Order: sequence, then structure tokens, then C-alpha cells
Amino acid sequence: MLASLANLSASHAHVIASSGGFLIEPGIGLMIWTLLVFGATMFLLSKLAFPRISEALGRRQAAIEDSIDTAERTRAEADEILSEYRERLKEAREQSDEIVQRARQAAEVHDREAKERGQETLAEAAKRAERDIEAATERALQDIRKEIAELTIMATEKVTRKTLTDEDQRRLVEEALSELDFSGISSGAQQN
Amino acid sequence: MSAVSSSSAPAGAPAPAPSSNLKRTLLIMAGVWIGGMIVLFVIFGSGGRNSTYQPQNEFKLDNWVHLGVFSINKAVLYLLLAAIATCASMIYIAKRMQSRPNKVQTAVEMLYQLMRDNITGGNLDEKMAKRWFPFIATLFLFIMFSNLVGYIPLPTNTEHKIDVLGLHIPSFSLYAATANLSIPLVLALLVFISYTFEGIRAKGPIGYLKGLVPGGVTGGMAVFIFGLELLSNFMRLMSLSIRLFANILAGHLIILFMAGALAVILGVSALAWFTIPFGILLFAFEVGLVAALQAFIFATLTAIYLGGAVAEDH
Repeated sequence: MLASLANLSASHAHVIASSGGFLIEPGIGLMIWTLLVFGATMFLLSKLAFPRISEALGRRQAAIEDSIDTAERTRAEADEILSEYRERLKEAREQSDEIVQRARQAAEVHDREAKERGQETLAEAAKRAERDIEAATERALQDIRKEIAELTIMATEKVTRKTLTDEDQRRLVEEALSELDFSGISSGAQQN
Repeated sequence: MSAVSSSSAPAGAPAPAPSSNLKRTLLIMAGVWIGGMIVLFVIFGSGGRNSTYQPQNEFKLDNWVHLGVFSINKAVLYLLLAAIATCASMIYIAKRMQSRPNKVQTAVEMLYQLMRDNITGGNLDEKMAKRWFPFIATLFLFIMFSNLVGYIPLPTNTEHKIDVLGLHIPSFSLYAATANLSIPLVLALLVFISYTFEGIRAKGPIGYLKGLVPGGVTGGMAVFIFGLELLSNFMRLMSLSIRLFANILAGHLIILFMAGALAVILGVSALAWFTIPFGILLFAFEVGLVAALQAFIFATLTAIYLGGAVAEDH
């Protein structure tokens, strides 16, 4: 049948060629060639080209998706680390503030205690000095009394030309001393 | 053309503004173009109308190898060239797919995504798209490569031969497999059979035929619409094949006319000088837009027809 169609088309060839009708005259041989060539092309492309391109594109898409996922995960981790770091920084700041506060309080306490201790020491020293002065005054007064007693005895012996007994001496000294007023010295010493 | 391009060089003007420089260059080119035509017309004049030259014979298919119905002619050669170009380029790229693509791979990937996501994925559901992608993608690539190969001048015009050192070499000419009706017709037939087969598989033979009539139409009107729809289905066969064939044939014819055929027919040599810039522009237009656009239209309509055949409502 194909051969008869070919013969038919050949017999009309010269008529068609002169009019240009061959342009729209389908040729059965060419149609079969087209079918074969197109079929072979489709087969080759389906086996050797399309799957590979599709696979490469799929791989690229997977890689891109993976990269995006990784980037998002990394960013989330970074955010987490950043917030943790900020938290720690905040804690450290709070701790340092607390330390400074405590140090300040300790310094204040220490200062106050030092002041108190100083005042106490000062008061104690003053008391001690007072006591020393009183003791010195007392000693001085004793010395003065002793001097006065001796002077009084000596004076009395000279006046009376007799030696006084111990009884007389004691009485005379007490009388002489009672006439003397040491209150001023004593109080002055106390004031100092 | 070489005279035109050599005349476009500026004549050493003292640093003019770029726009005025361009304007002057264009004016010189236009002057050379029109002047050249006048000069050629004056020298060669008109040789009278040439009735022996038949431009349609550029598309005539002479059998080169006689194999009966399978005889090999120019169209078969271009078919094979298109198939080889399609397979070689796609397989070459596919075998060297890198995770960091170069420019060519990026272009092929864009083409692949256009076929997968827009042409197929945009018109068919996931299952159908997966099943029919190889067919639709091959249609797109095969037609596009066939169209593009058709714009490469090849020594295929056995009617006119050039004598080079005693060797009779066929003259160079443009031809495309898709500029012959048989080839788009077979592709359209494949499309027609495919979507009819899919429609019948999805709905059954009766269901598919019933589906041609829109829901709600009954009685005599349903019969009329059924006939109309049946006719329109066969018309798809015509429109698919003739659209591609006529576009490519018209493109080749107009390039042929602008490249000199018009001057040969009218016997006015000067006319070739006038039409050649249009020929170059048309050639660029055909290569840059029409070749891919026609393939895109063919593949997209195939996907639409396949989607329509299995859709619930016609």
C-alpha cells in the first residue's frame, strides 16, 4: 500500500511542482520518517536526558531546602546562644552589682566599727589619763601632807622646845591638815 | 552589506555627543543604502521579469537516495539533523549536570522548568503531567530544534549547484523540516490520538463522546453541538499542523524574498540591495522569536488538549 502511494505521488510530481502544490501535499514516506525520528528522539530523551536533568534539579532543590533548613536551624541556635549569653551577662551584671553593694556595705560597717573603736579607745585613753592624773594628784597631795606634817612637827618642836610624842604629832598633823583646803588642787587635777 | 558596515565608521569628528554621533552614523548608513540602490539601478537597470525562477521550488523535495516510500530527501535530512541536534545537545547537557551550573546549563534548566512547570504542570494534574511530560517536552524541543536548524544555511539545494574546482556542490539554502506539511501533520496526529486515547481511558468511549456536549444542552441542540465539537476536534488537527507549517514556511519564504528572490523574479538587481537589511531583520526575528514561540504554542496546545480530554466538564 505504501509503495502504491509512493508511485501515485511520483506520477503527480511534475504537475505539483509547477504549481507549488507539493508544499501542502503530505508525503506518506516523510510522515513515516517523522514518526520514526520523533519516536527515537522521544525514547532517547526519556531514557538519557530528562531523568538526569530532573534528578539534578531535584538534587539542587533538596540541597537548597537543606541549606535553608540548616541556615534556619543555625539562626535559631545562634538566637538561643545569644539569649543565653544575654541572660548570663545580666546575671553577671547583677552579681557584680551585688558584690559592689556588699563591698560598699562591708566598707561602711568596717568604717563605722573603726570609728566606734576609735572613739572607745579615745574614751578609754581619756579615762586612763584621768585616772593617772588623779593618782598623781593624790600622790602629790600625800607628799604635801607629809611635808606639811613634818614642817608642823618641826615648827611645834621649835616653839615648844620639846619633843612631841607620837600621839601629839598625829593630833597636830590632823589639825593642821584639816585647816588646809586641797579641794582646789584635787578638782583642778580632776578637770585636767 | 560589507559596504554598509564599513561606511558606518565615523569620519574622525572632534568628540561629538554620543547621540549626535549615532544619528550621523545612521544617516550615513541610510545614505549609502539608498545611494547604493540608485547606483546599482543606473548601472544594471532592469533585466525584465524572470518567469523561469520559481521560488517555491526551493522547498521541492527531490529524492536523493531512492528507497521506495522511505526515499531520503531534504526533509528527511533536516528531520534527522533536528533529531540529532535535539538529542545531542540535551543528552550532552544532561550528562554534565553540575550543582553549580554554567550559562548553558542554566538555559537548559530554564527550558526544562518551562516545559515541566508551565507547559505541562500548568495544564495537567500531577499524574497526567508526569505521564505526558516526555511526550510534550520532546514535542517542544524537537519542533524548536527543527525550526532553528532550518535557519542554518546548508548546501542542500540540489537544483542549483555551484562549481568549486570542478566539484558540483549544491548551493546553500535555508530549509526546515517543519516547513513541510507532512511533519507537523504527523505530530498533530500524534497529539490527536494521544488526547483522544486519554479521554476515552478516563471516561470510556461513550462518556468521552458525551463529554463533547456541554452539560445542560439537550435535544436537537445537543446533536448540533456534538457535530460541531466533533468537527472542532478534527480542526485541531488542521490548526495545529497548519499553524506550525505555515509560520515556518512563510518565515522562510519572506527571508528568501528579502535575500534576493524578489530581485531575481522582477529582474531588478538593485532591489536586492534594498531588501537585504529587511532580510537580516526578519531572519533575526524568526530565529529569536518565531522558532521557539511556535514550538511553545504547539506544546502548550497539546497539554491543553490533553487536560481538556480528561477534565470533568468539557
